[in-house]
Parts: sequence; C-alpha cells; structure tokens
Amino acid sequence: MRITQGAFSFLPDLTDEQISRQVQYCLGKGWAVNIEFTDDPHPRNNFWEMWGLPMFDLRDAAGVMMELNECRKVYGDRYIRMSAFDSSHGWESLRLSFIVNRPKDEPGFRLERHEVDGRNIRYTTTSYAVDRPEGQRYR
Amino acid sequence: MNDLSMTVRGKDRYKSGVMEYKKMGYWEPDYEPKDTDIIALFRVTPQDGVDPIEASAAVAGESSTATWTVVWTDRLTAAEKYRAKCYRVDPVPNSPGQYFAYIAYDLDLFENGSIANLSASIIGNVFGFKPLKALRLEDMRLPVAYVKTFQGPATGIVVERERMDKFGRPLLGATVKPKLGLSGRNYGRVVYEALKGGLDFTKDDENINSQPFMHWRERFLYCMEAVNKAQAASGEIKGTYLNVTAGTMEDMYERAEFAKQLGSVIIMIDLVIGYTAIQSMAKWARRNDMILHLHRAGHSTYTRQRNHGVSFRVIAKWMRLAGVDHIHAGTVVGKLEGDPATTRGYYDICREDFNPAKLEHGVFFDQNWASLNKLMPVASGGIHAGQMHQLLDHLGEDVILQFGGGTIGHPMGIQAGATANRVALEAMILARNEGRDYLHEGPEILAKAAATCTPLKAALEVWKDVTFNYESTDMPDYAPTASVSM
Amino acid sequence: MDLDVVPMTGNVNLREELEAVGIEEILTQLDRELIGLKPVKTRIREIASLLLIERIRKRMGLTSEVPTLHMSFTGNPGTGKTTVALRIASILHRLGFVRRGQVVSVTRDELVGQYIGHTAPKTKEILKKAMGGVLFIDEAYYLHRPDNERDYGQEAIEILLQVMESQREDLVVILAGYGDRMEKFFGSNPGFRSRIAHHIDFPDYADDELLAIAELMLGDMNYRFSAAAREAFVRYITLRKAQPLFSNARSIRNALDRMRLRQASRLVADLDRVLSAEDIMSLEASDVLASRVFANGSSPANYG
Repeated sequence: MRITQGAFSFLPDLTDEQISRQVQYCLGKGWAVNIEFTDDPHPRNNFWEMWGLPMFDLRDAAGVMMELNECRKVYGDRYIRMSAFDSSHGWESLRLSFIVNRPKDEPGFRLERHEVDGRNIRYTTTSYAVDRPEGQRYR
Repeated sequence: MNDLSMTVRGKDRYKSGVMEYKKMGYWEPDYEPKDTDIIALFRVTPQDGVDPIEASAAVAGESSTATWTVVWTDRLTAAEKYRAKCYRVDPVPNSPGQYFAYIAYDLDLFENGSIANLSASIIGNVFGFKPLKALRLEDMRLPVAYVKTFQGPATGIVVERERMDKFGRPLLGATVKPKLGLSGRNYGRVVYEALKGGLDFTKDDENINSQPFMHWRERFLYCMEAVNKAQAASGEIKGTYLNVTAGTMEDMYERAEFAKQLGSVIIMIDLVIGYTAIQSMAKWARRNDMILHLHRAGHSTYTRQRNHGVSFRVIAKWMRLAGVDHIHAGTVVGKLEGDPATTRGYYDICREDFNPAKLEHGVFFDQNWASLNKLMPVASGGIHAGQMHQLLDHLGEDVILQFGGGTIGHPMGIQAGATANRVALEAMILARNEGRDYLHEGPEILAKAAATCTPLKAALEVWKDVTFNYESTDMPDYAPTASVSM
Repeated sequence: MDLDVVPMTGNVNLREELEAVGIEEILTQLDRELIGLKPVKTRIREIASLLLIERIRKRMGLTSEVPTLHMSFTGNPGTGKTTVALRIASILHRLGFVRRGQVVSVTRDELVGQYIGHTAPKTKEILKKAMGGVLFIDEAYYLHRPDNERDYGQEAIEILLQVMESQREDLVVILAGYGDRMEKFFGSNPGFRSRIAHHIDFPDYADDELLAIAELMLGDMNYRFSAAAREAFVRYITLRKAQPLFSNARSIRNALDRMRLRQASRLVADLDRVLSAEDIMSLEASDVLASRVFANGSSPANYG
C-alpha cells in the first residue's frame, strides 16, 4: 500500500529538485522547515521524531536539502516528511507537510473490529510495522 | 442627502399622538457611532413618495425602541440611549429609489452571546413595515465587546487541520448521491469508495435525516465502518459529516452522542434548525471535540434577492459567532449563485481575523474578530476537477472543495472520481508553490498530471465543457463586476 | 548557479546584457561609498566582467561547469572588506551566481564549538543560513590553531572545505583577514588555497584618502571641519597612523565620534551663547587638538 498522508502523496514521488522548490516556497513565506522521520506512520501518530530543530532564518532551500540528505543517510529506510511552521498570530501551526522519503515496502495497517454492545463496533488501526521492535521495522 | 437633525427635544417630544420617526430621535446625522455600538447597514426601498430619511429613521425606530405612536412609558427609561440612531443615508449607486441607511445600536440593547436576540432585534420586526417596498440587511459591524461574548467556531480552521493532519491544501469532500433512497449499507459503500479514492470527507445531504429508506442509526453505523476502513487503507484521517438534524434538540443530542460514541470526527446540522439550536450544537461540539459542519439549507429564500432579505455576509458573521466550523459559502464557478467579488467577501468574513471595509467585495465595515476561531468555508455544487486552478485562485487554500457529482459521477467509478480530484488538487498546489502562473497554465498542469493518472484524464474528458454561466442576482454595488464565464 | 534565463542564440549585445543585470549601478555605488581603493575596485570590475562573460557562455551552451567563486580578502582592519563583500554578493546575485544574495558574516566563535560534537552542528547551522548567499569569515586564520592538534577548529575547516567543493552552486565563501596571517593559514591549509578563485588585497589608505573619508563621514552626519580643524586633522592622521592598533577607516570613525563629543561639551559649556546652525555643524581645531594623540608620550591605551 501507499500511505497518502501529506500534501503530495497522490503524485509520483517528488524529485529532490521538486522538494527543494517546495521548501523554497516555505522559506519565502518565512516559515521554519522541520525534518521529521518515523517507523510508525499510524494516522494518529502526530509526533514523528525530529531531525534536529525546525530550521529558522534560512534563506535558501539548499540548507534544508543538506539536512535531508544527512537524515536519509541515517533513516533512509523510514518515512521522512517536511513540515513547515508558521509562527504568525492566528495560525501558529503547520502550513505545509509532505512526505519526502518512504520505506521500500509499505506494509500499511490492520483494522481490528471489536464487537461490543448491540451492533456497535470499536475500531482500532494498527501499523503492521509496529509488530516488530523499533528500529527493525523496515529491514 | 444628510440633513440636519430634526429631533424634537424637551417636553414636546413626549406629547401624545403620532410623530414622524425622524423627529423622535431615530435620525441623528451628527451621531458618531461608539466603538461598542453595533452598526447595521440596510438597503431601504421606500414606497413611492416616502421620504428616504423618514423611512430609514423608521427602520431604526422599529428595530429598537419605537412603536407607531408616542408612549409616555419611554420617560421611565434612558430612552435616548436605547434609541437606534440612523446617522447616514446614501442613495445606492445606479439603483434609483434605493438607499443605504447606516444605523447604530447601543450594546445594551442586546443579550450576550445570543444570535436569537441579536437577530430578533435587527430583523425581527421591520421587514414587513408598510411604508417600505423592500428592505435588506446588507452588513453589520459587530463590536469586539460583543464578539467576545460568543464562543465562536467550536474547532476552527487551524485545530481542524491539526486534528485531520492535513496542511497546505484545500480539503476535499463529496456529498453522497443520490441524496435520497440509498439503504444504510449502500450509502456506506459510497462513503468508503470516495474516502479510499482520496477524499478527506464525505457528507450527508441536508435532507438526509431519518427516513423510511434509511434509519439514521443504520447510516451512522455503516458510514463509520466505511470511514475506519478507508483510514486503514490510506493511513490518513478521514471523516464523514453525519447529519444530526432532527425534529427536536433531544433527538439531535441523541444522534450527536451516537456519532461521538462511534468515533466520528465530525457531525453536521442544517441552518433550518434555527440559531439557538445551532448555538447549542456548537457548545456540544466544543465539549465533545467534534467538528461541526453547517449546511446553509434554506438561506437562498432570504439571501438571494438584492433588494429584500438578509445578505449572506450577515448570516456568515452570525454563524461565525454562533460557533460552527464549516459553512457553505459559494463556489463562484459552480451551479449555485455566487458573484466572485461578493463570494470573496464571504470567504474573508469566515477566515480573517480582521476584515477591512471593502466596498468592492460588499464589505461595508471594518470588522475585528478579536481572535475568534476561523470558520472553514465550503465550496459545493456543480464543481469538477477541470476547474481546479480557478477554484484555487478564487477560493484559496483554506476551503473544503466538495465534488459530489464530480466524484460519484465519474465514468470509472467513485474511487476513480475521488482520485482524479485529489491528483488534480495536489498537482495544482505543487505548481502554485513552485511559483507557476497556475491560473493560466491550469489546463496544461492538469493535462500533465493526467498523463500519469487515468482517472483524471477521464474526468477532464467527461466534464470538459461543463460551466454554469448565468447572470448573478447579487453583486456589490460599488464596482463594475461581471459574472464569471469559465 | 541559478541561470533559469532563456538560452541564447546568435549575437550578443554586451551593453544590453550589462544593463539588464544592473551591475553597473552596484559598481557606481561602490565607487561612491568607498574612497580610494583603486586596485580593489579594478579587481572587482575584472571579476564582474569575467562573470558576465561566464554567464553569456553558459547561456550559449559553451560551458556547463559551475565556476569556483570563493575569494580571499586580505588587508588591515577598516579597509572596506565587509562593504566590498556586500557589494560582491549583490553582483553575484544579479548575475545569477548565488540565488539569494545575503551575506552571513561570522568569526571563529560562531563556527567552532567548545566540546566534542559541538562544532559540526554549529558550522552546519551557519552554512544553512548562508546557503544561497555569501559566507564571510573574518579573521579566518583563527579557525586553525597549529599549537593544538585537537582543536575543534579543524572539524569546522573540514566541513567548510567539503561544502566549498561540493556545493559551489549553493554558496560562496569569502575568507578575510590580515595579509601575512592569511598567507600562513593558506600555507598550512592548502585545501583552502586551491579552492579560492579570487584573491583581493586591500591596501591601507593614504593620508589624503583618510582625510577624504573623514569629510565624507562628517558630511553624512551634517558636520564639517573649520579650516583650522581640517589642518589639525591632517596632523592627527599622520600621528595616529604611527601609533599601534591603527585600523584605517574604523579609527577615523572613532576619532570623529570623540571629536563630536568634545564639540558638544565645548558648546554646552557656554549656555549664554546664541548658536547659529554653522556653530552647531562646525568642528573647531580645539576639538581635534584635545586628542591625546597630540600629547607626547601618551599611553597607548587610549588614542582619543
């Protein structure tokens, strides 16, 4: 399966050139770009690990791309995404987020149904990846 | 036009009998509205031969303290404070016989946090007033002091995006069709297909409540199966607006509770349930971490005619105060009424923290929202993937684009329809962010995206000639505008 | 390099090319704001011409290489190195050799850490901010401490060298400092020398240039020398240059600041006097001559 979180998951994987242009768009808006990675892409796993801090005061995307390449060297077998933070009043949250790296094989999620009272069902989504311990999920 | 005050003062003011409104203190051309006043702008069309000043003063009077004759009991009150004051009357450009009347109301005339009270005061009585041919409430300035007495949107745009984990692009939705007749199980099928194909939301239509063909519980149960299955299949948060509109508050609460129990992130209500019911549901939604979608069912009965009724921009302001999270606000290019400049005005009212007066958008007053949450506008009705560049240009990024027919009517099926919309949207956002002139290069960008996406190719082919070019019935008065032809 | 310009075919009108990028106005600005420095200005014109031709060659498809643009600026303090760096950045930006054109100016402290694992993130932080522009490293030789093999400066040097080589299209590095020390630094770090394309030497200002600088600075602040004060200041320059820690234009600015202070004290001392604009704008000989530079055997600690 292909996880479709983020703004551009329905398009073919972005090239570095395309990623760089999106990053430049964010920097141009004055947003700080953060690189985040995870081996548990559960839809409600909001807090992916941060690759360093959000990068403030950058002018050019090359700086972010430098970090992305470093991050890929270490966590190239996991999901990596770019997140852009806007600190302006009334927003103070993410403005753009998109996946820039995926594991070769994406196992996806299991949907568990627990029948409870009457016809009610409790649903639980579990990443197949987390069946294995952290760090060994996409070997 | 703006004459001197004609107010009769002293003992004579309260002599029994009939006195012109403009002499009773409802016409005060020297009055400077206070920061805490509520200001209403009416379009007044007096009957032939009626003095526009007197007609406007009458509107001020009848929407505040006056009755048709002088009453001595006024003298037991601080009547001068409570009188609404018409302070300016302008002829409407290019519309003989119509006048814009600016009327200021003291804040003490209104109950805190009550749209019911606000609307009963401002539009409760005057619209049937005989000396007027027609009357329209065009806009209102709500003082910060009053805004702060309302909860505002239960969730707001920013938190909704955080909860849905979706940033940097409009959200996508679809209304399940046919709106009537599907069984719960069949209905859930449509929801699953659309969400799995790439939409973020699906939606019940305004009149899907609990009918013989589908009891509401059936719908909720099957819809939530569909939502959860699509969520697991995509790894994305999904939602379906479960319509909890019902005959009584008790029924609505019961349905909302069930939606919550099933884990839905969003419920919906119709405008026709009434302002108080809307505010109650907004409070419920905030207490229960629920996004609240409002379908503006019925609004066109009183918002569409240019000379009579209430402008939708006023309804949008009231709904932001009342506390809903989504509101249908027009598409410009779709099948429903919507001049581009006027629609832009509605969107600004929903989404900005401060609206500067902008006559060319029909916005008459500066409006400070004092950090009240932002309301997500929804564009729905007769739109399709081939218009993506125009939609993005007219409506911006913080909007929900709802492609009902444009998803479910896709020749390759619902999933394909959803995918076509999602791919078109992502390609357009990508191009916009790259600095391309996406409005003009739109068709090219879509064609290129379609090269690797058969569903999009098919969608562009099927709907390539669909447009809705009709003259708008409601446009700003202060700038020449034309209805868009796309 | 960001040359997203239309490829060229056919003949080139050099004047049009030059006017299109607008570097002439930057060079004129440099002429205006920097007195003297003839050799420096000539070098910059040469570099600008080279880059203009390089840009044309690129568009004609005659070259595809990213040229090395890293530079070294050598010279004593106060000779205009920072100002020139700013203008060079604008020229590079207009010609499309850097994408943004900002100048990030640092010294060793901002690049080198205090403990293991501290340096790489610090250096990278600065590099990221400089991407798309110019990284100006003042007194670059402090990065290298030959007396301490385990100095963390070496780590910064390695990262810098790598980026200077592999990301030539992303940033331009300018190393600056005293000529003799830079020479030694390059001697022990041949990696830097080989990556530097342009060396520019900033000579000390001549006496008359320093006077012109002083008058330019005063003019900007709406002050002027009286004839006597001007004559005194000529003597001041000769004396001050002979003393230690002289830093060209910077010393002149400091001296003027102190003279303005003395002028103000002098004026305020006589509260009954009615002042003309001329009085308030004018520096008198006494304001200059009160400097310790004129006192024989003064302590070198304070060169007022």
